[in-house]
Amino acid sequence: MIPFHALKDNISQILAITEKNVKLHLRYKFGLIFAIINPLLAIYIPLIIMGNLFEFSNQFGVWNSQNFIVYQFIAYNISLLKSLVNVFPKQFQMEKFWKTLPALIIGPFDRINLLLGILFSHIIIISPPFLVIIVLNLIYYPISIISFLFFLFEFLLIALIFSGIGIAFGVFAISNENVLKVLNFLIGFVYLFSCLTFPFQIFPDFIQNVIVINPLYYVFDFLRMSWINNNVALTITNYPFHFLILISCAIILPIVGTYIFSKVYKKYGITGF
Amino acid sequence: MKNIIETNSVSKIYKLKDEKKEIVALDNVSLNINEGEIFGLLGPNGAGKTTLIKVFTTLTQPTEGWAKIDGVDVVENPKKVKSKLALMLGSEMLYYRITGYDNLKFFCKVYKIPDYKEKIYALAKVFGLDKWLREYVGQYSSGMKMKLALCRTLLIDRKILLLDEPTLGLDVESTHIIINKLKDMNRTIFLTSHDLNVVEKLCDRIAFINEGKILKIGTKQDIQNLYKSQIDIKIEIQQSIEELKNELLNKEFLSNIEIENNGILISIKDRTYYQKLLQILGKYPVLKFQEQESSLEELFLKITGKF
Repeated sequence: MIPFHALKDNISQILAITEKNVKLHLRYKFGLIFAIINPLLAIYIPLIIMGNLFEFSNQFGVWNSQNFIVYQFIAYNISLLKSLVNVFPKQFQMEKFWKTLPALIIGPFDRINLLLGILFSHIIIISPPFLVIIVLNLIYYPISIISFLFFLFEFLLIALIFSGIGIAFGVFAISNENVLKVLNFLIGFVYLFSCLTFPFQIFPDFIQNVIVINPLYYVFDFLRMSWINNNVALTITNYPFHFLILISCAIILPIVGTYIFSKVYKKYGITGF
Repeated sequence: MKNIIETNSVSKIYKLKDEKKEIVALDNVSLNINEGEIFGLLGPNGAGKTTLIKVFTTLTQPTEGWAKIDGVDVVENPKKVKSKLALMLGSEMLYYRITGYDNLKFFCKVYKIPDYKEKIYALAKVFGLDKWLREYVGQYSSGMKMKLALCRTLLIDRKILLLDEPTLGLDVESTHIIINKLKDMNRTIFLTSHDLNVVEKLCDRIAFINEGKILKIGTKQDIQNLYKSQIDIKIEIQQSIEELKNELLNKEFLSNIEIENNGILISIKDRTYYQKLLQILGKYPVLKFQEQESSLEELFLKITGKF
């Protein structure tokens, strides 16, 4: 068991990193405003396109012109959480550029505290637009409290998934930025075929064959279905494979990400500053 | 006295892939620094000063040899090594987008410094930064950033301070404040500098490094003695200057004789010839006999072979 004073010290360090990162982000407020607006623009185009498509076909799976806004609100929140993938490499790259990375590396904290501090600060930064969109979604398409809590739990799992990927990416921002660029290119493809902003049914067969091998598709789809179904038991029963993928990814990816971070960090150290 | 920093044949080689060649940043460096000592490392740009500090702080690993901080190997137990050190890399390691106070507060929290607010303001006052603490660091002058970086390092309560160019770009007054502050610290300080004046005033021992190699180590006096291949002496006498000059001419232990104002400037090859010199001077009404010390700057240029 962790002694109380050690726990207190760890929490204090995590909060210090969180506070510092939030202050660094708040230095230039326009950056923050655009970070909120950009995902709105990202869902605006699919809304227009799908609005036209619904004139030709009333339904794509469970999605129609009435409930498609829910799809896009959820897509907006996923987009906000998706930035967790980039936040670790971006933070480390900035610290390298600012030449503050040595101060963090020789600092007396565990790497996990550093990673948690970065994670929490980003969650604080994205939480205002995240909450606004959730409230709008609730107003437009109300769900029960249990469904809502389950929905938030799913978002937490998705945050863990993106953090796991981000931690693995982050170490390459310290050690080898070439690898980071390759990984960013590859993850771009995973997002592209995850049905984040367009429903599965509008894609041609050969793309659908690619989408069904993408675990993120099942993760996002389960999230949307749990809102639309508004029934936790029914959603899990109807989509057990989706649920299994979500749980598995939320457990495996943070472990794998932390393992890669530690291994690569120990083996290659820090370069480029 | 206990050796608190030890290195044994430390080498660091960087491989330049593009040019298929290697850069030897450190070449067989062996040093022992005593507890409580202020040790200065002097060298030109690219001599290997910062690389050595990075080895001590575990930011880079030696290619060969070993280094120990307070008996702990930097490669085998980097975490323990880090707990003994405070590092200042010039004015680096500061967040420009937050205030000076927030910078110091962050590091105090990370390093678990109690009552940090009072300590921050007290230390900032010493360096004349207290009125600027609530401003963004991006608005600071380079001298103020340097002082803030030093405040950060001094607030961290560690046995060993590693300071890389702590007075770079500072004015005379600020440099003087820093020298006095560091002298009062009663800690082991390892500092690198271009500023020979700072090293001369501050350090107990000095090492000269060039192209990764330690050229000489010793006290300031040791090094001056070692490298005084000739000692300049100014002699003032009431009269008979020409007569003295003629007598000194052709003496094999003198390498130079010049008449200068109301005296003679001579260069003696070694202090062992003083007796012979004094025998000659005894016959004259000498008003002044003054050794003119070589500056560290001259010594440095001699040691690095650039003089």
